[in-house]
Amino acid sequence: MTVVAFPTRTPRYGGPVVTEAVTFDDEHDTSVEDVAARLVAGDETALEEVYDRWSALVHTYAHRALGDAHDAEDATQQVFVAAWHSRHTLTPSPSALPAWLIGIARHKISDVRAARARDARRAEAAITVDGVGITSEQSAEHDVAEQLVIRQVVQDLPDPRKTILFLAFWEGQSHAEISESTGLPLGTVKSHVRRGLIHIQQQLEGVRRESR
Amino acid sequence: MSHAELDDLAGLALDRDDVSPDVQRHVDGCLQCTEAVDAFAAARALAGGGPLVAPPQHVRAQVMTHVRRGTPDARSAAIPLPVALESHPRARRGISPWLAGIAAALALLAGLGLGRLTGEPAPTPEAVDPGTVVAAADLTALDSDAARGVASAVETADAVTLRVSAEELGDGDGVHEVWLINVDGKRMVAIGLLASGDEGQFEVPLGLIDKGYRIVDISVEPDDGDPTHSGVSLARGELA
Ligand SMILES: [Zn+2]
Repeated sequence: MTVVAFPTRTPRYGGPVVTEAVTFDDEHDTSVEDVAARLVAGDETALEEVYDRWSALVHTYAHRALGDAHDAEDATQQVFVAAWHSRHTLTPSPSALPAWLIGIARHKISDVRAARARDARRAEAAITVDGVGITSEQSAEHDVAEQLVIRQVVQDLPDPRKTILFLAFWEGQSHAEISESTGLPLGTVKSHVRRGLIHIQQQLEGVRRESR
Repeated sequence: MSHAELDDLAGLALDRDDVSPDVQRHVDGCLQCTEAVDAFAAARALAGGGPLVAPPQHVRAQVMTHVRRGTPDARSAAIPLPVALESHPRARRGISPWLAGIAAALALLAGLGLGRLTGEPAPTPEAVDPGTVVAAADLTALDSDAARGVASAVETADAVTLRVSAEELGDGDGVHEVWLINVDGKRMVAIGLLASGDEGQFEVPLGLIDKGYRIVDISVEPDDGDPTHSGVSLARGELA
């Protein structure tokens, strides 16, 4: 092993090593089906694309469900490795990927919970779990998953619709305020919000259908 | 009148007064349209959550390392994946309870003769320390962000091994040499040649990476006997 001087010819270093999440501009997004089909066919670059697009969704869901940053990272890693190994169970369709990934994440999360519960019993730390508690926890979690899916759907929209929806649904601005701040006519703003809501609802339906 | 347009149904869920009285009257008397409005209102109520938080960068490298190591599908499909056993640095500080649960399950599987699932080199009959991935890097080209494979640092009790699995380094003349460059940008060490062209494992001194030698660099070296870096790097990534 020799320590040598740093070479002078280094075209570039210091930029991001991991590329930013891919953004897609097409609302009627055939790219989802394409990447799903490539994943099923065993294309590793498809897994990278799937990861870049949906790892934040999976990670945030796991973090919210498990309440622990490290467990969330582990679960995220496991979800994508498991996704790769069970890729033949994926049926390519526009909503299939997020639904399928959320489904895998749900399994991993309940594995973690089961292990925690086992561990708690082993340590004889008495915990009682009543059925009501579990039910409300699961339904809250279901809402969290759907909220995150919607967030993803809106993030994937092209502008100005994306910005308009964020202002309307996340910032709670009125259509008039949005018209003011974006300089777009009021009618245009309303139309974007309505179409955006229709899109959200349809995507949500798709995810619900796929995760049945 | 016929059923209301989707646009109006969404409009009703957002602001009833934005929709004409005719449409409102129809919807009020139509179960199907009312259900659609309710569905839009429910979707609207779910909007506002987030934000989405990306996982740390090393998670991606770990996923791809596991995938490229290639666990055969048949074995892995039905059994829990042992990926969590070689996770990030936290694993060194003590294995969390649920990881311990997985470890126990794995030990059981091993006892049943299912063997190792990690796809790592076959174990010797003695106890084998599979090591912990303590850092990983996505390798990319220098003039673009094109993927060039992954590198990971695996720590066992007495050694650190750098595993390099590169791809698309090109067919140019020369051999591929792996370097670790210090993040201070002033020092670098040569750690070995990729004999096969793109795959290699190199034991590196304990503590080297901790001293800042975190940037994995793959150079192409002409056969000129000069031990210094040729200055031509094909791939780089920072261990994190
Ligand atoms: Zn109707």
